[in-house]
Amino acid sequence: GLFAYLEMLEAQAHKAAVKQEEMEQQEEKLAMLKKRLQELRLQRDELRAKVELQEKGQLGKEGVTSEPAQPSAQTVLEWKIKSIKAMLQIFYLTGISGKLTKRGVCFCISTAYEGTYLDSYYLDLLTKPEVQIYRHSIPAFIPLEQIAKKYLQTDIRRFLSVLLDHLNAYVGRRFQADQLQEQFPEQIEGSLQRNSLCNLLVFKYNVSSEGKTFSLTARLLYGDLCRSLPTEAVVSCAPDSPASLAEVAAAHSDLFRRMALHKAFRSFSSAVEIME
Amino acid sequence: MDETVAEYIRRTVLKIPRDEIKMMLQKWGFLSEAQLQTINFHQIKDNISLEVVQLCEENCASIKQAAVLDIIYNHIYPNKRMWSVYQMRKTGEEMEFFDLADFKRKFKKCLRSALNNVTINFREYEDNEIWIRVAWGTSYTKPNQYKTSYVVYHSQTSYVFISASVLRSNLPLLCQALIFASNYHDIREMELRSHCLNSLKDFVFKRYSQNFQTYCPRPLQERSVAPETDLRIIQENRSEKERIQRLNREVFGDGPLPKLEFAQYKLETAFKSDPKMSVLAKKEPFRCLIRFSSPHLLESLRSLPPAGMADAPLSPLLTCIPQKARNYFKIREKKGFIPGSFVSP
Repeated sequence: GLFAYLEMLEAQAHKAAVKQEEMEQQEEKLAMLKKRLQELRLQRDELRAKVELQEKGQLGKEGVTSEPAQPSAQTVLEWKIKSIKAMLQIFYLTGISGKLTKRGVCFCISTAYEGTYLDSYYLDLLTKPEVQIYRHSIPAFIPLEQIAKKYLQTDIRRFLSVLLDHLNAYVGRRFQADQLQEQFPEQIEGSLQRNSLCNLLVFKYNVSSEGKTFSLTARLLYGDLCRSLPTEAVVSCAPDSPASLAEVAAAHSDLFRRMALHKAFRSFSSAVEIME
Repeated sequence: MDETVAEYIRRTVLKIPRDEIKMMLQKWGFLSEAQLQTINFHQIKDNISLEVVQLCEENCASIKQAAVLDIIYNHIYPNKRMWSVYQMRKTGEEMEFFDLADFKRKFKKCLRSALNNVTINFREYEDNEIWIRVAWGTSYTKPNQYKTSYVVYHSQTSYVFISASVLRSNLPLLCQALIFASNYHDIREMELRSHCLNSLKDFVFKRYSQNFQTYCPRPLQERSVAPETDLRIIQENRSEKERIQRLNREVFGDGPLPKLEFAQYKLETAFKSDPKMSVLAKKEPFRCLIRFSSPHLLESLRSLPPAGMADAPLSPLLTCIPQKARNYFKIREKKGFIPGSFVSP
């Protein structure tokens, strides 16, 4: 009766507090990154100013500066190294970076999903007598041979781009499934059934409304291997469930098709709480 | 409970090292915790196995349940069997949604349509790994649980690891069931065999550390710096030693290598010698089989050049093993202007 109700309120308050804390942590992280960004921008501006001053200094001895007009070879070298490293970092962050090797080129494909950097995969290509794959670290379930057959000889940019799409989508799907299991363990009944490519996900989960919990089964089919959202999402409920549950299932099915899995869960978990 | 089932369980328990029996029975989950508590795991294995059989009698174990214990044992000790790697191919480009229930159903259907007396068990492990155990019988005899074939398959890859057992005549049927169930068109055996299943997986799924050349912006792991050696010792041949290290690292990488027990080269090349030696004047190829064996072949090959026992770089016939993922080779005569190696596919 009353105590149970109080307990439920307490649990809700606790949950809300935990969520609040999480959000605050996220905001803190964001603020820190913004600060770092500012610092780097400041550094960059300083360096730019220094370069300008040096250029000016070479033309004439004007300008008040604490730096000597002729920088030492050491500092110039350090600056060059820093800028090259930054350039390489940028290439790496774009997802595809490469290095020429004795016999061809070695590409590094780094994947990411919505701001989180995930795995890196490597492709060692030979360029003579024709472009071929010498060795690689691409997982065996990615259809590398098929993509290579189509594009490797004719359009290597397209080949890399298609491969990057496949890999990014795969790690994105995998990341969503992992996040779902990690963040919502109480709501998922049993285990998440998936396959190597993470393009078929089947799981049972709970929703609670009006004090009762109902079980729904979701079957997500990711028809396009280059996308990390499902092409088909079937959410079904037990035949004896109330009619309102069927509406909820339809709404969830739509949600799963539009947004990332763990975000979809987050949105309807909080929505249900608001309803109560 | 059938006597054969009882005997099978008894023999399976006897295979397990004594310290592991409790853990495996818990993994099996067929006997309850309360029942497991009643077993004294400190007595001799014969007695432990008899107690286990008795408890299984109480629970009326069937052969299918007993087979699960066998799978668990083989999953923990896969190196007791010899594994071969097979590769499946499909011609179409259709996207397959691998559905485990679908796969199991099709596999069973295909096998059972050809042979009624088979025991088939499936067990799923992490990384989407499926273990299949098949015990073969004939039209008149029940399945022989002691001559089983094991298949390890990672869904949506084209590789299958098969430990066929003595009854190799059933292999074509097994292969057919696999391609039917996984929607592939054909299957062929790769020239890669070993007792160490994990190493075979490492080769085929490229899980070992290959040395890719990149501009790695991330900080490299600190390599432990060798302690300052005595300054009175002068390193002669330092540049040569460094060259060998560098070549070795390029070929084998830095990390641990997958374990192989042997590499076999079948030579069908003509013996080249002084034409005056009439004995060998025949133009027939000189048939010869060379076999390298070692507890850890690749690691020992890697250590040969630094130890001074072989020239660096090593022969590409040896160093191509990880990249080509094979350890059985046939070497024929180099004919004319065929570029590259003359190792037959």
